[in-house]
Amino acid sequence: MSASHSAVPTLLEVQRALRRSLVEHDDSEAAGCILADGLAPEARLNVYRNTFIGALTTALRLAYPAVHRLVGPEFFEGTTRIFIEKEPPRGAYLDGYGSGFPEFLAQFRQAASLAYLPDVARLEWAVSRALHAPDVEALDLSRLVAVDPADYGRIAFVPHPSVGLVQSDCPADTIWRTVLAQDDAVMAAIDLGSGPVWLMVQRFATGVEVARFSEQEWRFANRLCAGQPLQKALDDVSGFDASAALAGHLAAGRFTGFRLETAP
Amino acid sequence: MRFRHHRTVIDSKPPVAWFEVHTENYMGGGAPLCDLDAIRRDYPISLHGVGLSLGSAEGVDPDHLARIRQVAERVEPALVSEHLSWSVSGGVYLADLLPLPMTEEALATVCRNVDQTHGYLRRQILVENPSSYLRFRHSTIPECEFLAAVAASTGCGILCDVNNIYVSAANHGWQTADYLAALPASAIGEIHLAGHSVRKLDDGRMLRIDDHGSRVIPKVWQLYSEALARFGPVPTLIEWDTKLPPLETLLDEAARAQALLDHERKSLGRADTA
Repeated sequence: MSASHSAVPTLLEVQRALRRSLVEHDDSEAAGCILADGLAPEARLNVYRNTFIGALTTALRLAYPAVHRLVGPEFFEGTTRIFIEKEPPRGAYLDGYGSGFPEFLAQFRQAASLAYLPDVARLEWAVSRALHAPDVEALDLSRLVAVDPADYGRIAFVPHPSVGLVQSDCPADTIWRTVLAQDDAVMAAIDLGSGPVWLMVQRFATGVEVARFSEQEWRFANRLCAGQPLQKALDDVSGFDASAALAGHLAAGRFTGFRLETAP
Repeated sequence: MRFRHHRTVIDSKPPVAWFEVHTENYMGGGAPLCDLDAIRRDYPISLHGVGLSLGSAEGVDPDHLARIRQVAERVEPALVSEHLSWSVSGGVYLADLLPLPMTEEALATVCRNVDQTHGYLRRQILVENPSSYLRFRHSTIPECEFLAAVAASTGCGILCDVNNIYVSAANHGWQTADYLAALPASAIGEIHLAGHSVRKLDDGRMLRIDDHGSRVIPKVWQLYSEALARFGPVPTLIEWDTKLPPLETLLDEAARAQALLDHERKSLGRADTA
């Protein structure tokens, strides 16, 4: 509505004005196209803004239940309100909304006293991704049998979409489990300085599991899941049984396919 | 139907004709979709979407359309529906069913987006009238006529939400009878019923809010009877999405709608034989 107020706004202009109203709390353009009819246009817009913020806060609460409990509902809502304004969803599939929340929390000064919060959030996002990942069949191992052993080093796996790898300098998995179990006694006994953890998240038929790996196992899995060919993933990896680890990944259905990397 | 009722429905197989779910809740994999497969074996399913944004000037999101098609291919639903509203601007999803200015330009936009959806999904969709809390100064077409024009142009069906008609009519001073009269009976493929809340504003005025969190009120039941008299015994759904009650309460509401549907069918039978 860059032209005069008397001009009829286009649909595109109306929709941009309402977006500015809902996301940026700027009603100046939207209010001008709305009939007051006994109730201020700003109050009418507020009805929609409340739904917008309420629906997205709910989506984030469902993805980040432990963060919600750790900070309490009031702080959570105040925080998500700022996050929503900064990073509104880019699609209508809300189970996929909120990937940027852990990084947002890491930068959020008001939450700085809870140093473990971003890591718990990273773990929760991996769990949420695992919960909602599409159903994909695991790799049929007979396909691997057909590969010439001379080509094994060139195998690059495709990870299952439910698989996620999280590294934390605090026991994020213990905090996450304990908070969700609402076990205050265990919570009070958690040693935040107990050292880093390397976590593997995956959905099985029975539900999502979060398992601890050794650092070497985790690095190897992380490289494989990033699509690096087997030989390259094995570089710099020592001190553990990589073939047993690989067999474990295959048995757990962590890959859905593979390709043979061509020589560089 | 919401996730919380999946297990009860699978185990007890309640005597209802069909279930409706939000398309967006089944766009991932895992347990929800697995449950829906199990429910689908015993009941027809209707997919009701809230995110396609048929009124977006920028067109519908092809990724979202692809997700809808994926769910539809797996579930093989009896009906697929969306809303006469918009939710996406500049690639941002505004998580509500926002009202359209009722203009020729918006009508052409909705028709274009519905045509595209029909072509991509290779099936007819139903378009539902939303509840609204604001109107635009430059609107020129009554909403009921706008919806009828979309159906006439695109061949889409209409999901007539009787509660939404009641809510919007109360909020904007429309006549519910005029609204029903403007809709083409042959296009009505489904009816929705729901509860709504009433918010008292500072100046004492009432704003009715469609929150799907309570029983259908008597005046909406009355309007439903009028809708059945005009449209015939159309498949009817009770929507309940917030403050979710036990399944029995929902089944009780559904049974009440079923009784009115049966009554309508009987009187049609008498008319046929008269």
